[in-house]
Amino acid sequence: MKLHEKELRAVYTDTLIELMTENDKVVCLEADLGKSSGTVPRVWDAFPDRFFDVGVAEANMIGISAGLANEGLVPFCATFTPFATRRAYDQITISIAYAENPVKIVGTAPGVTTAKNGATHMCFQDLAIMRAMPNMRVYCPADVYELRSMVKYMAASKKPEYMQLIREVHAPIFDENYQFDPSKARVLAEGADVTLVTTGLTTQFARKAVTDLKKESIQAEHIHYPSVKPFDADTLLDSVKKTNAVVTAENQNVIGGLGGAVCEVLAEHYPAKVKRLGAQDRFGEVGDVPYLSETLGFSAAKIASACREMKGTS
Amino acid sequence: MERIESKDQLDQLAKEFRYIVTDIMCRAGGGHIGGSLSLVEIIITLYFRILNLKPDEPRWEDRDRFILSKGHAGPTLYTALAYRGYFPKEVLLTLNANGTKLPSHVDQVITPGVDQTAGSLGQGLSCANGIALAGKLHKRIHNVFCVIGDGESQEGQIWEAAMFAAHHKLDNLVVITDYNKMQIDAEVEKIVSLEPVVDKWRSFGWEVFEMDGHDWDDIYDTINKAMAVKDKPAMIVAHTVKAKGNTCYENRIECHFISIPDEDERNRVIGGVCVEGEEEPFEFNWTQGK
Repeated sequence: MKLHEKELRAVYTDTLIELMTENDKVVCLEADLGKSSGTVPRVWDAFPDRFFDVGVAEANMIGISAGLANEGLVPFCATFTPFATRRAYDQITISIAYAENPVKIVGTAPGVTTAKNGATHMCFQDLAIMRAMPNMRVYCPADVYELRSMVKYMAASKKPEYMQLIREVHAPIFDENYQFDPSKARVLAEGADVTLVTTGLTTQFARKAVTDLKKESIQAEHIHYPSVKPFDADTLLDSVKKTNAVVTAENQNVIGGLGGAVCEVLAEHYPAKVKRLGAQDRFGEVGDVPYLSETLGFSAAKIASACREMKGTS
Repeated sequence: MERIESKDQLDQLAKEFRYIVTDIMCRAGGGHIGGSLSLVEIIITLYFRILNLKPDEPRWEDRDRFILSKGHAGPTLYTALAYRGYFPKEVLLTLNANGTKLPSHVDQVITPGVDQTAGSLGQGLSCANGIALAGKLHKRIHNVFCVIGDGESQEGQIWEAAMFAAHHKLDNLVVITDYNKMQIDAEVEKIVSLEPVVDKWRSFGWEVFEMDGHDWDDIYDTINKAMAVKDKPAMIVAHTVKAKGNTCYENRIECHFISIPDEDERNRVIGGVCVEGEEEPFEFNWTQGK
């Protein structure tokens, strides 16, 4: 089985097991959603002494992780995205970010990928709120190769970090040689007509949009941001200086996330017109991913359509 | 360091601590006097009779850890740290000054000797859980001490942490509740009662003790008993008096945070630092105290 035929959560689990085998400082925490993250039962079985399921108690999981990190351990703690971020936001802010305790927080089933769990579990603001926290880094991998490299990077880094983890299988974008570097965005397609900025799930959607646009002779420059913070401003500015038109797409509310980061950079350095795709300041609902991404306006078709519109505006 | 056993010496330390805590707050224009003064004997006992520390090596791996979850009592902890040599005593005078290393709530990043940042209530006990768990994983023999407030115990996270510590048999963890029976708005009993607090902790799987938080022998003996508990975390409910030892504020509901607008008020509050049985207010001489 090729790596990219696996679910992302399986690769998260594989990578954690690899890291925990190499390094006895790495520990894994869950808050009764380990089956969903993929770590139950495999990590639990492999490392019963370094796996802690704290139960349905996210604030406590964050505090315990802070204490473990304070003592030199490398805690990876995961739960659904809304509980991993907004539910324990003050705990993350004070016990982790402000205290500089380098905990690795993993938010699973981000945005619409929580699908049938619906609006209560559909977090559209984690990128925005985590990005707004000093000392916190914010990552969104787009495929298994990037995920694996990112998790290894996080285990070695001394910074507090947050990563979104889509659980399901996704098409490969990168390959075995991929090396995650938070200071570098990835230009996945070159073009001079419009700059298309995505992260995580929308990077997958944008691949199809870019292919469809090519058939119409529209050349979109597609930039994937595995790290929303730190944010690689140079790659964005180089592209926008060619295109003068930007579309952002994210599995998030349009306020404060990736689109927000893009607008901040452009407003200060190179004002250009930006169309932000994502939930338009609304909550989610139950549904499958194709329905939700279409309804909320960041499906491949919606991305292609926004690129067509923006192309003519520069 | 020689452990301090003489009651006269301990009494003298307590007098100086109460004066210093009051004085540095007054100079800073105000502070959390009530919950700082209620902890004086407990923190002195920990830092001068119990904790195994190397002040010249604040992050020494085998040290005992101390987490002040009720982080607003920082001034009392800072005084203990200064007396133990983590930094010079005159640094205490910078409490809450611009650019200080001694903020009103404890900060592990900027203050030598502070093991865990705290201040947003309810969080420190979870961190203490992680620190105690790390001690177990590293097979170290140190103890982890944590002080929580009674008002703080209204936070749900305290009880999440209580369940976890008992489940994982964190017997290297000793937690003390500073039960001074008051919180900001009114008496704890009037806001949301903790009672029966001993039964609550016991039912959560903890070994529970009670002590007079101002009695040297009782504090020392009870902490030692708590440290000896096996297979369970230990809770000590310390009966204390808020703002103990300052006649202007002792056991008064407005003592949680005081504001010192001017020199007159400063003199009044400093003059409140009194010791039972002594006629004159106690005064600490900063110049000689160095």
